[in-house]
Parts: sequence; C-alpha cells; structure tokens
Amino acid sequence: MRYVSPIVIAEITCLITAILLVWKDRNVFWKVITCYIAIALGTELYAIYLASKHIHNLWLFNIFLIFESSTILYGLYCCLKQYTTPKPIFLIGSGVVYLTYFIFLFTHPFTDPNTLTISVMSVFFTLYCLYYYYLLLKDENFINIKTHPEFWWVTGVLFYYFGSTMSNIFDGLFSVKIIGVATLRYCIYVLLNLILYSLWVYSFICRMKQRKLHS
Amino acid sequence: MQNETTKIALLVAVSTLVFLLMPVFLILYIRSYNRHKKNHFLEKQNMQQRFDSEILQTRIEVQDQTMQSIATELHDNVGQLLSLTTLTLNSVNLNDAEKAKRKIENSLSLVNKSIKELRELAKLLHGEQLVENGIGHAIDQEINWLGKAGTYELKTNNLLTDSQLVSPDKDLIILRLLQEIINNVIKHAQATYIQIDSYLEDGALHLKVTENGIGFNPDEINAKKAGMGLNSIYKRIEMINGKLALNSAPGKGTSIAIEIPYP
Repeated sequence: MRYVSPIVIAEITCLITAILLVWKDRNVFWKVITCYIAIALGTELYAIYLASKHIHNLWLFNIFLIFESSTILYGLYCCLKQYTTPKPIFLIGSGVVYLTYFIFLFTHPFTDPNTLTISVMSVFFTLYCLYYYYLLLKDENFINIKTHPEFWWVTGVLFYYFGSTMSNIFDGLFSVKIIGVATLRYCIYVLLNLILYSLWVYSFICRMKQRKLHS
Repeated sequence: MQNETTKIALLVAVSTLVFLLMPVFLILYIRSYNRHKKNHFLEKQNMQQRFDSEILQTRIEVQDQTMQSIATELHDNVGQLLSLTTLTLNSVNLNDAEKAKRKIENSLSLVNKSIKELRELAKLLHGEQLVENGIGHAIDQEINWLGKAGTYELKTNNLLTDSQLVSPDKDLIILRLLQEIINNVIKHAQATYIQIDSYLEDGALHLKVTENGIGFNPDEINAKKAGMGLNSIYKRIEMINGKLALNSAPGKGTSIAIEIPYP
C-alpha cells in the first residue's frame, strides 16, 4: 500500500493511456513523452522504496531533473516549431537551465534539493507556454482548440510549472500538515500532478482522434 | 515561529490557487478569441466562395455575350455576304463571258470578305484568351466590335494596351463591366456618340464611358440600385473594392467612371 499514492496512480493511468493511444504514433514527440512518463513513474516508485528504507532520496530527484527539463524543453520546442523558428530562444533557455543545474551541483551537496534549477526551469517553461499561446492566437489559420493535442499538452505544462512557482520559492519555509501526515507542499504537488496528467491524458485522446481522422 | 510558518503556508496556498486560476482565465480568453477567429475564418471562406461563384457567373456572361455577338454577326454580316454570293453566282450567264467574269470576281470578293469576317469571329471565340493577353487588348477588341456596327461616333483613349500589369480575375470582371455598360448604352441610351477612356493611375485602373444619349435621373436608379443592369455593375464593383461615379441627367447623356484598385 505504501507504493500507492495519488501521484503514482495518476502516473500509471497516464502511462497506460500513452502506451495505448500514442505509442504507435509516427511523431517522435509522443514516444518521447511516453518514455518520460515511464521514467517519472520509475523515479517515483524508487523514491518511495528508498523512503521506506529510510534512505535519502533527494539525489534521485536531482538526477530525474535532467530528464524532466530535457523532455519538457523538447516538447515545448516541438510545439513552438509549428509556428516559428524557436532555436535561438531554446538555446538560451536550455543553456541557462543546465548552467544553473551544474552550478548548484558544484556548490551544494548532491543530496540537497535543487530548488534553484526547478525555479529557473519553471520560469522558462511558463514563458515558452505563454509564447506558444501568443503564436497560436496570432496565427492566421484557425484551429479547433477543443481537440488540439499540442494545445492541451502545453496547457498541462503551464498549469504544473506556473502553479508550482510559489511552492518552489517558499520551499523549506513551511511544513504545515493539513491532512493527517500530508504537508501542504505535498498536497499542492498532488493537485498539480493530477492536473498535469489529466490534461496530458486528454491530449493523448485528442491525438488519437486526430490520427484516426487523418488515416 | 509556528505562527510565521502558518502565515507563509497560507500565503503559498492562496497564491498557488491564484496561480492556478490565471491559466484558467487565459484558456477562457483563448477560447473566446479562437471563436471570433473561427467566425472570421468562416466569413472569409464564405466571401471567397461568393467571389468564386461571381467570377464563374461573370465568365458565363462573357461567354454568352460572345455567343450573342457571333450569332448576330453570322446572321447580319456573314450570312448576308454568303447569300449575296449565292445570288450573284446563280445569276452568272456563261454565254456572256465578260459579265460572268465580272460577277465571279464580285463573288470572289464577297467570299474573301466573308473569310475575313469569319476570322474576326474566330478572334471573338477566344475572348477568354483575350483577357489573358491583358485587359487593354480585351477592351480594344470590345471597342472594335462596337465600331464595326458604324452606328456610333466613337472616340477612344485606351492606355492599357501597353500595361504589363495583369490580374486575371479582375480583368474578367472589368471586361464584363464594360460589356454591360455598352449593352445599356445600346439598349436604352439612344446615343450617337460614345467616348471610352481607360488608363492606370496611382495603383488604380480607371474606366470612363461617356455618351450623349437621353440620360436618366441617377437618384432614382441609385435609390433602387436596380434596373438597366446597374445592380450587377454595383455588386461587382463592390466585390473588387472599386468605386463607381455615375453622372446623368434627362436629355444630357450619361457618364460612368469606374475606379478599381489594380492589379
């Protein structure tokens, strides 16, 4: 039962949906996202296992951070590529994120949570998402956003990274328990993960429908 | 200290809620904007369809006009010439060699004239190609046709023949406009003199047709926007963002000036 948490359930659901609906997609983007969800789930389960053995697990999340930032950067790059040439802004963004990561790595113990990189990453991801919306609105062609997979994928990213801004900034400064042993921070992350994975599941459904329509 | 932590926790909880609400409003805004964009897109598509259908209608009308001209020409001109040739050849008396020779020469001349007329008709049949060669040539052809009747004293100033600019859809509409105006003059104006000016100026094509016919009250026509084919003229000019200035008074002739952004 220890392994069953709302985040794990959300990740398993999202992974199963991704494997069933978009794994066979010709577009590499969807395969990368499926692999990322599998890695996220693996990380989450291993972190729970380490915690159960009373072993420090923050180093695991620090390694996962590399996969997380790379995948989301790649995903946003693919989405923005449809409207503009995003290479320069992504070179800057990824440069800053990785530089922050390695500076933090060399100046802090590896077992410290890399909140600085998470905050910097969140800012860049939020900006890219807003830029995506801007380009979407500016584009002359009309798209049906209700069934547009990339739109909902980006929306999930925006909710998660924009919503986690305050928790990242005040990380470590508050540890109020609200439901039994669950801290407020944990509850916020559960909520954000549920929103993220729900929107991603919806985007997979949209993608599957879109593919069926085009085949 | 505990109080401080609770305050921070409350602040984080409230701000996270606000931070989550902002994307919700953003999505609602995008949805609403997108709906407007969809309406605009559909309207544009609708307008394009209307334009295409109008172009098709214009093409059919130009073809109809060409067919009518050919029919009239065959009946009134070539038909008459060939009838006369038959009559002349029938009356040839081979015993009177001198007279017969003269009659045969006359018949030959009539046949040659008929061939020339048929060649002119063949040119008309390629009316659409004429538009492809440029609106200047198409207007020239139309004026030549009008001049052949010999009913009107014509003064023309067509400066479009040297122009390199083309706009196939607009050219077809302009040609049809000229045809309609000329039809109106022939049917209603009772004019004896027609002046046609066409030129390009400041990115616009100007076409002006002036005649000395019986004229009419433009206010009545404008109010109704109907009659004498003016309705379709107005509609087509509006479709290609053009302007029309109509000057007329009973007994004082009519002048129609058209200005169309070109190409």
